[in-house]
Amino acid sequence: MVEVSFRREIESLTLGAGAVFQGEGILAVTKALLQSGVSYVGGYQGAPVGHLLDVLVEATGEMRRLGVHVETCTNEAAAAAMLGASINYPIRGAVTWKSIVGTNVAADALSNLASPGVKGGALIIVGEDYGEGAAVIQERTHAFALKSSLWLLDPRPDLPTIVRMVEKGFELSEASNTPVMLELRIRACHVFGSFEAKDNIAAAHSVNSRIEAPAPFEYMRLSHPPVTFIQENDKFQRRLPAAQKFILEHGLNETLGPASHDLGIIVQGGLFNALNSRLEAAELSNAFGDANIPVLILNVTHPLAPEQISGFCAGRKAVLIVEEGQPDFLEQAIGQILRKAGLPTKLFGKDVLPMAGEYTPRVLGAGLAKFLRDNGQPAAPLESWLAATGAQAQALAAALPAPLPPRPPGLCTGCPERPVFSAMKILRKEIGPTHVSADIGCHSFGTFAPFDQGNSILGYGMSLASAAAVANSQARKPISIMGDGGFWHNGLLTGVAGSVLNRNDGVLIIMNNGYSSATGAQDIPSSAPTPDGRGRGVDIEKTLKGMGVEFISRVRTYDIRKVAKTLKDALNAPAKGLRVIIADGECQLARQRRIKPENAKAVARGERVVRTRFRVDPEVCTGDHSCIRLSGCPSLTVKPNEDPLRTDPVAHVNNDCVGCGVCGEVSHAAQLCPSFARIDIVQNPSAFDRFRNRLAGIAIKRFGGKLIDEARA
Amino acid sequence: MSAPCRVLIAALGGEGGGVLASWIADAAIADGFAAQRTSVPGVAQRTGGTTYYIEIVKAGGRRPVMALAPAPGGVELFIASELLEAARVLHGGFITADRTFVISPLHRVYTIQEKIAMGDGRADADALAQSLKTFAKDHALGDFAALAQKTGAALNAVLLGLAARHMPVAPQAFRDAIARDGRAVEANLRGFDAGLAYAGEPPAAAPAPVAPAEIPHNFAAAVEAMPAVSQTIVREGVRRTIDFQSLAYAQLYLDRLAPFTGRAGPELFTELARHLAVRMTSEDTVRVAQLKLRESRLAQARAEARARPGDIVHVTEYLKPGPEEILSILPAKTARALLAFVERRGWSKGSIALKVQTTRISGFLMLKFLASLKFMRPGSLRAAEENAWIRRWLALIDLALAKDQRAAMEIVETARLVKGYGDTWKNGQANWARIADEIIEPMLAAPAAPAHFADAVMQARIAALADPEGARLASVIASLGALKAA
Repeated sequence: MVEVSFRREIESLTLGAGAVFQGEGILAVTKALLQSGVSYVGGYQGAPVGHLLDVLVEATGEMRRLGVHVETCTNEAAAAAMLGASINYPIRGAVTWKSIVGTNVAADALSNLASPGVKGGALIIVGEDYGEGAAVIQERTHAFALKSSLWLLDPRPDLPTIVRMVEKGFELSEASNTPVMLELRIRACHVFGSFEAKDNIAAAHSVNSRIEAPAPFEYMRLSHPPVTFIQENDKFQRRLPAAQKFILEHGLNETLGPASHDLGIIVQGGLFNALNSRLEAAELSNAFGDANIPVLILNVTHPLAPEQISGFCAGRKAVLIVEEGQPDFLEQAIGQILRKAGLPTKLFGKDVLPMAGEYTPRVLGAGLAKFLRDNGQPAAPLESWLAATGAQAQALAAALPAPLPPRPPGLCTGCPERPVFSAMKILRKEIGPTHVSADIGCHSFGTFAPFDQGNSILGYGMSLASAAAVANSQARKPISIMGDGGFWHNGLLTGVAGSVLNRNDGVLIIMNNGYSSATGAQDIPSSAPTPDGRGRGVDIEKTLKGMGVEFISRVRTYDIRKVAKTLKDALNAPAKGLRVIIADGECQLARQRRIKPENAKAVARGERVVRTRFRVDPEVCTGDHSCIRLSGCPSLTVKPNEDPLRTDPVAHVNNDCVGCGVCGEVSHAAQLCPSFARIDIVQNPSAFDRFRNRLAGIAIKRFGGKLIDEARA
Repeated sequence: MSAPCRVLIAALGGEGGGVLASWIADAAIADGFAAQRTSVPGVAQRTGGTTYYIEIVKAGGRRPVMALAPAPGGVELFIASELLEAARVLHGGFITADRTFVISPLHRVYTIQEKIAMGDGRADADALAQSLKTFAKDHALGDFAALAQKTGAALNAVLLGLAARHMPVAPQAFRDAIARDGRAVEANLRGFDAGLAYAGEPPAAAPAPVAPAEIPHNFAAAVEAMPAVSQTIVREGVRRTIDFQSLAYAQLYLDRLAPFTGRAGPELFTELARHLAVRMTSEDTVRVAQLKLRESRLAQARAEARARPGDIVHVTEYLKPGPEEILSILPAKTARALLAFVERRGWSKGSIALKVQTTRISGFLMLKFLASLKFMRPGSLRAAEENAWIRRWLALIDLALAKDQRAAMEIVETARLVKGYGDTWKNGQANWARIADEIIEPMLAAPAAPAHFADAVMQARIAALADPEGARLASVIASLGALKAA
C-alpha cells in the first residue's frame, strides 16, 4: 500500500481525445505511455519518478482494459533486462528509475540491450536526481547514453513537449532500433501543468492478445560474440544516421529567435525555462519565450545532428552552451562538430558557467551576463539584477551573522528504526566505537544528528558487501545496517551470499519495516499480503536460513534494552561467521495510515479504544536534553521553562506523539531521568474500567491523594 | 499580459506544503489564469525543510514559458509554515524589499541541532522575525498556529486566507479549490476565512504581573532586607525550600544568601538566589516522588493528551533508580559503606526498571512511601554531597567578590552545569569540579586576579555545555593552561 492515494490521477489516465489532462510531469509521461500503445511497463521506485509506477500499480482497471503488463521489478537491473522483450518482438515497453544510481545498477543489462538493439520501441524514463532536493551522488546519465549508444531525450519542461517526446521517443527507438532514455529533472517531474489528451491505445500484442509463437532463433538478437562485433559497427553505420535523420525530419529540437544575429545559445531542453527567465531579466525574451537572440533547444541531447549544430552556428561570432553538470559532454561534442565543419564560431560554456553544480537563476544569470558582455552585447539589466541580489546577500550577512540551524530530513515520529540507533548509541558508550557500514533507505538518516553513526555508504543494499574487507582488517567486528528494501534490491546476493561464501565475520542488522519506506512505502517481496497490495509475505529469516546463515536473532525494535543486548551478544558471539539481527517494526507512517482511520471509526461507534502517548513532567525535567540526544524523535521537542527559577528549555512531547514509547524506553535503557510518563487514554471506557477507576479513586483519597473523577473531568 | 505573481512556499516535509501549493494553482487556473507549480520534496518529505514554487499570470490564451525555480528578487509573495524556514528563504535572497510580501507564523518547530544542546540551543526567534520585517516589502507575521487551532483548520488553510489578499485570484476561487480538494472542507473553509479576515495581531496585553509567592510572615523581614529586584526570586526560593523540606530549611536558604546582601550587585544577587534555590531543592529520589504526587499533574496530563470528558486517563511513570539513587537517601556513613560494597560486587551499573502506575493504589502508595522518606534527608549522603558542593560554590563566589565582580558573576553561572540525573548529574559535577580546581581556584590564588578571569570561567562553562563527552572543556582548559605558561 503506497503512501499516496492516486484515485484522481488514475481517472486522468483514462482521459480520451480532446480532454484536458491536468497533473504532474511524471504522470503526463505515464499518460503518454498509454497513448503510445505500450505493452509492458516496469521499474524500481525512487524520487522523483516513483509515482509513474505507483499510479500504474493502482490503476488495475485501465491496465487490464489495455492489456498492459505492470511489473514491480526488484531492482533496476531487472527493469532494464525486462526491456529484452522488445529485442525480439515488435512490442513497446517502458521502464523507469531514479538516476544516476538506478542506471548504475541497470548498467549490465543496458549494455546487453543496446548491443543487439530493439525491434519494438524501448523507453527508459529516468529521474535525473541532480541539484536541490537530490538524494544521490551528482553524476550525469548522459555518460551512459554515450558509452552504450542509447539515445537521450531531455525535453523542455512543458507538458505538451514532454508528452510529444515520449510518443516520438518510441518512434525514434523503432526507426533506429535503439533503446531511448528520457531524462526529467526533479522539478520537471513535479511540475503541474496541462496538455490535450489523446485516446489510450491498446497494443497489438499484450496481455490481452498474446503472440502465438516465440521468435525464431536469430543469433543477431544475442549480445554474444561473434555478433557483438557486427552490432558495434551497426550502432554507428546504420542506427546513428537513422536516428539523426529522424530527429531532423520530425523536428525534435526547436529553434527560437531571429535567424540573423551575431550570437546564439544552445541549451539542453530541460534547462530552457530557466534560461528563458534569465533572458527575460536581460530583456532578451518575454514570458512566452519570444527570444530576441537565437536559441537552439536540444530536446535530444544524444545524438546530436552535426548539420543542425553547424547550421545553427554558421555565421555567428559566438555561441553559448548551457549544459548542466559534468563532464561537459555537449560542449566537447559541439566543439568537435564546429572544428570539423571549419567554422570560426567561438564556443562559450563551462568557462563562463561553472563546471559543477545546479544552474540556479543566479548562476545562470551570471554566466549569461558574462557571455553577452564578452561578446559586445549590452547586458545592463541582467548586471544590475546581479548587483542588486549581491548587495542584498551582503546586507543579509551583516544583519543575521549567525548561521541558521540546518534542517536535514530525519526519521519520522515513532519510526521503528530510531530505537535501533538509540540502542547503538547507548552501546557505543558502553563498549566503545564500532565501524558502521551504512546503506540507502530511511536508516541513512541515522548518519545525521543526534545519532551520527555510519562510516561509509556504497549504494543500495551494499552495506554488508562494503564491510567485507573492514571485517577482515580490524580488531572489532563491523556492524552493517540494511533495510528490507535494500535486502531484496541487492543485499541478499551482494551482501549475504558473499559473506556466507567468504565466511566473513560481522553483524548485519536488517531493518524489517515491511515496505520500501523511503520511496513511499511500496511493497517488496516480504511485505504482508493484502487484497490490494503486491506483498507476498516472503520470510526474510527463512531466506537467510536457506542461504546458510547460522546466527539469526530477531528483536522487536521498540524494546531498546533488548536490541542493545542482542547486538552486544551478536558482536561477542564466539563462532566465526555472519550474525544477522532482524529488527522488526512496521513503518510507522504506514501503520498510522492504517490504524488511525480504523481507531477513529471504532471510537465513533462507541467501542473501547485505548490511545497511548507520552509526556515529560516539566517540573521533574532539568533541561539537560540527554533524552533528545538519544532519541531525536520529531515529537520530542523543547518548550520554554515555566519555572521562574530555571531558564533552560524543558523537554516536551507534542501532540504528534504516536505513543511508540521510545523516549521512555531510552530514559530507562540509558538510565537518564524519571521525567517520562506514559499516558493511556481509555476512550469509551467499559463499566469495568469505570468501576475499577472509581475504586482506585476512593483508595487513593484515603491516603490523601486525589484521582480526577472521570465523569466530571 | 498582467505582471506575474510568483509565489514561494517554505514548509517542513509532511506538513502539507504541497496541498497549499495545489490549492493556489488550482484556484488560479479555475479563475482564468495560467498557473504552474512545482516542488523538490524528495527525502525532505521526511521532516526536512523544503520549498514549493508557483507562477501565476494572465496569459490571454497564449502558452507562457514559466520558470521551475524562483529567482532572487523575483518573488511577489512568500508564505512560510514556520519561522526558521522563512528566515532560511530570506537567506537565499528570495525576499526583497522592492516586491516581496511575507507571510509567516511566529511559532517555531525546533531543529534537532537546537534540541540536542545541553543548555539552550534555540535560535533567537525575535531576531529571525525582525530580519523578515527588515527585508520584506511588507509582512503579516503572527500566531497563525493559534488561529488554525481556534478554527480547527489546518495551518495551511489559514495561510491560504492570508495569502489570498496578495494574489490576483478571487477569494471565492480559493474556497472552491478547498471544496474540490475534499479534505476537511468545513474546517479548512473556516480557517481560510479567518486568515482572510486577519487584521493584525491584537496589541500585546501587558503581561499579567506575576503574584509573588506566598511565604510565612516570619520570613518577610529577611526577604525585604534583600535587593528589591531580587525579592520575587528570593520569595520563590523560600516557597520552594519549604515545599522541599521545612521552614528551618528555608531559613538556611536565607542565611546562606544574607552575607551577600550589600556586597553583590543586584543582578548577581538575583542569579545567586535563583541558582541557590535550584541547587538546594535538587531532584533526589524523595523530591521526584513529591513532584509526581502533585494533584495538578493528572489534570496537566489530561490536557496535554487532549482527553475528552468521560475518558479515563492512566499515568505510568518511567522510573529507573540505580544503587546511588536508592542508597543515597540513607545516612551518609551507611550509604558510603553500602555503595562501596555494591562497587566491589560490580553492581554499580545495575538498576531497577520501574513502570509505576500512579493512577492505581499500588503505584500511588509506592510514591507516597518514597515521599515520606523526607525525614531522612537532612542526614542523607545526597544531602551531604549537595551541601558540600553548595558550600564550596558559595565560598568561591565570596572570594571572587573581593577581587573581580564579573568573575564572581561567572562563578555564580557555573551552577547551571550541575543538573539532571544519574550520569548526566555526575558528569556535570565532574565538569564543574574541573573548572573549580583548574581555573577558578588557581586564579583566585594568584596575588592579583588575572585580567581574563571572568572570560576564562565563562569560556569553560560554555565549553562544558558544548558536548556531553567533555571534549571541548578539556581543550579549553588546555588552552588556558598554555596561556598561563606563556
